[in-house]
Amino acid sequence: MNSRGPLGRGARLLIALAGIAALVFVLSACDLGGVHPIFPDPVSANGKNIYDTYVGISLMAIVVFVGVEAALLWVVIRYRRSAQPVGYVPPQVHGHTGLEIAWTIAPLVIVLAIAAYSFAELQKDFQPISNPQMTVIISGHQFGWDYQYENGVVVHQEGSLAAPVVPFVVPTHTLVKLQFRATDVIHSWWVPAVSGKTDAVPGYDNFSWLKIDQTGQWRGECAELCGAGHASMQIIVQAMDQPEFDAWMAKQKPAPSPSASPSPSK
Amino acid sequence: MATTTLPRPKAYDDTFFKPISLWLTTTDHKLIGIMYMVTSLISFVIGGIFALIIRLQLSQPNLRIVDAETYNQLISAHGVTMIFFFVTIFVTGIANYMVPIMIGARDMAFPRVNLLGFWLIPVSIILYYCGFLTGGGLNAGWTGYAPLTEKAFQGHSLGVDFWAMSIIVWAISGIMASTNFLTTIVALRAPGMRFSRLPLFVWAQISTSILLLIVGAPLAAAMILVEFDRQLGTQFFTTAGRPVLYQHLFWFFGHPEVYVMILPAFGLISEIVPVFARKPIFGYMSMVAALFGIVFLSMTVWAHHMFTVGMNTYVEGFFMLMTMLIAVPTGIKFFNWIATMWWGSIDFTVPIKFVFGFLATFLIGGITGIYLASVPVDTQLHQSYFVVAHLHYVLFGGSVFAILAGIYYWFPKITGRLLNRRLGEWNFWTVFIGFNGTFLIMHTLGLEGMPRRIWTYSNEAWAATNMIITISSFLIAISILLFLINVIHSWTQGEIAGNDPWQGNTLEWATTSPPPPYNFERVPPVRSFMPVRDLREAGELAEHEPVPA
Repeated sequence: MNSRGPLGRGARLLIALAGIAALVFVLSACDLGGVHPIFPDPVSANGKNIYDTYVGISLMAIVVFVGVEAALLWVVIRYRRSAQPVGYVPPQVHGHTGLEIAWTIAPLVIVLAIAAYSFAELQKDFQPISNPQMTVIISGHQFGWDYQYENGVVVHQEGSLAAPVVPFVVPTHTLVKLQFRATDVIHSWWVPAVSGKTDAVPGYDNFSWLKIDQTGQWRGECAELCGAGHASMQIIVQAMDQPEFDAWMAKQKPAPSPSASPSPSK
Repeated sequence: MATTTLPRPKAYDDTFFKPISLWLTTTDHKLIGIMYMVTSLISFVIGGIFALIIRLQLSQPNLRIVDAETYNQLISAHGVTMIFFFVTIFVTGIANYMVPIMIGARDMAFPRVNLLGFWLIPVSIILYYCGFLTGGGLNAGWTGYAPLTEKAFQGHSLGVDFWAMSIIVWAISGIMASTNFLTTIVALRAPGMRFSRLPLFVWAQISTSILLLIVGAPLAAAMILVEFDRQLGTQFFTTAGRPVLYQHLFWFFGHPEVYVMILPAFGLISEIVPVFARKPIFGYMSMVAALFGIVFLSMTVWAHHMFTVGMNTYVEGFFMLMTMLIAVPTGIKFFNWIATMWWGSIDFTVPIKFVFGFLATFLIGGITGIYLASVPVDTQLHQSYFVVAHLHYVLFGGSVFAILAGIYYWFPKITGRLLNRRLGEWNFWTVFIGFNGTFLIMHTLGLEGMPRRIWTYSNEAWAATNMIITISSFLIAISILLFLINVIHSWTQGEIAGNDPWQGNTLEWATTSPPPPYNFERVPPVRSFMPVRDLREAGELAEHEPVPA
């Protein structure tokens, strides 16, 4: 038989796996110098629901992960040749219909539960909304975002890696419908603290919404590779209370309305 | 482990060192298989070097080791090289070598198609890299989403055109190989080798070939339409056209491609586990059924890569459900592997260590896949470093660990010599720690909001994690270096393996190592799915060994 050191090979595997498991738990338990195991605290209602779905799936995932890795560890420790009596001949089992059916049905039940849970959230927060208090058209281009408010004001959020970009300002406690467009290639608007990402695709409008109930600033980035300036397409969302928002809006210069521009000569 | 030194069979011991004219013209499935595998390992090294440059660039915020345009070409080349030129090519190569022997055939059904199919691969690889000579290679990621690949956004370089042509050639080669595998397995099985007695690796190859046969053509179609847009001025995927159509076509190939890379890995694991646990595979029929369950489901899930483009929520719900259902056949396979080892007597050689590495890490890839399948959660995780971590757990922790297990397992059969065990142990532990050090904490970057495919970042909060990842990635590189040293050294200097160093179950262990050009002097009788074990137990193994010429 093979010679083994004082520390058996299976034992070393055990230590390595235990180390990884410990790392997972440490990472999920605390905040190590900016290492968040979970999303930034969600500030929009849909972001909160996505976060809850994530936590719900995690509960089942942790059970499956711990259960299966424990079974693997048990196999390593108990059924290694050096742990078996000399001359041990394993039972020649070819299968067990009941067991095989059991571990077909068990994952099926788990994934159906996760799918149902996720689908409920999908129906709740991902339908086009019909009762917005405000609509903003977000147009992605190489490399920046334009935010067009209903009164014609446009905020140009040109991409920059060096300096903070111009914030996209929304009032708090307001259901804002976000309507996404792209004028060149596909971009994706993502502010993790607000909610999930939405693609801005040339040719049609895509939709999302936000409703932020606290003031503050949150960072995001373009999430769809769109060319050399992709990394510079930073996003800042700023939520202000309604009076501050109105004051901010009053200072913005409305874009020239299309009817005011000279019509091309025929 | 072979402890006695057997005399080397003189006629077959120089598998690799043959005249170049023989390598260029051979139709022997074994030599073609070796060429596939060597080609793919060269690609692995090239793709790995790209990865290391990427990791250096990301190790700290605001670095300028490469510029944005070069970075975009590097990530594209890394993805294309690893997926198209390494993993898929390696699993094709090892199947090319082993499938005919495992079913007791003399060669593939169409040896000259095999020859052509292989030589299209270097053509495809060279075509891809030619793009770099035209002012810049593909820079839109390995997925090459339109309209970024369109002429309007590409300047004067022809990288996209060379990529598209390369992939068309690659798809043709894959269709040839798949046809060949299916014909071989249907038509050339040895007497007694019924379908119910096929080794699970062969079953995996059947399912893989069916998949690639179905999805190879849509991939080529997508690339042809990209070329129409670029060269003939059509508007299929342009800003004025339908860019999302490209995503549908690409992912109708792209998701099954994941299974083209992982099903042969499942096959490898199913071969290695019973041999080292000294037990028959648990639930042979449910293993086969699970393979075909995955084949069917994998073609109904492609739009889960597109949950943020704005589809109807019921359509999204369908793709979410089908994606999650893949966990069921995969779970069956997982539990069957564990059950095979339960009550076993596991000999902890290097191949089985890599199998445990596969099981421990692929599980994480499978579980994170459930998060990504859930539409609401996916809108957060999509296109972030969580996805990068997930796909590496599936492709590296899954496919590459299984490939390494397969190399340690079959190297003695292919070369006649064992890989060095001590180097193998170092290889396993360094790659296992390096891999998890790289990709486990990478999940957190995605949750924190770091998108993938950004060439640099200014957020200081991500700096420490990125540094740990970069350091760990170099541990992987050292490990792969150890592996390559082991392969090159053992090919000529390794311990002589003998015909059957592991006491295997399947037919390849009944012939010499390496096998003669015709594989078997007399094909051994096949009475179950473990024919060589049957012979060994009946004391008949020796008389079926071919006599060295």
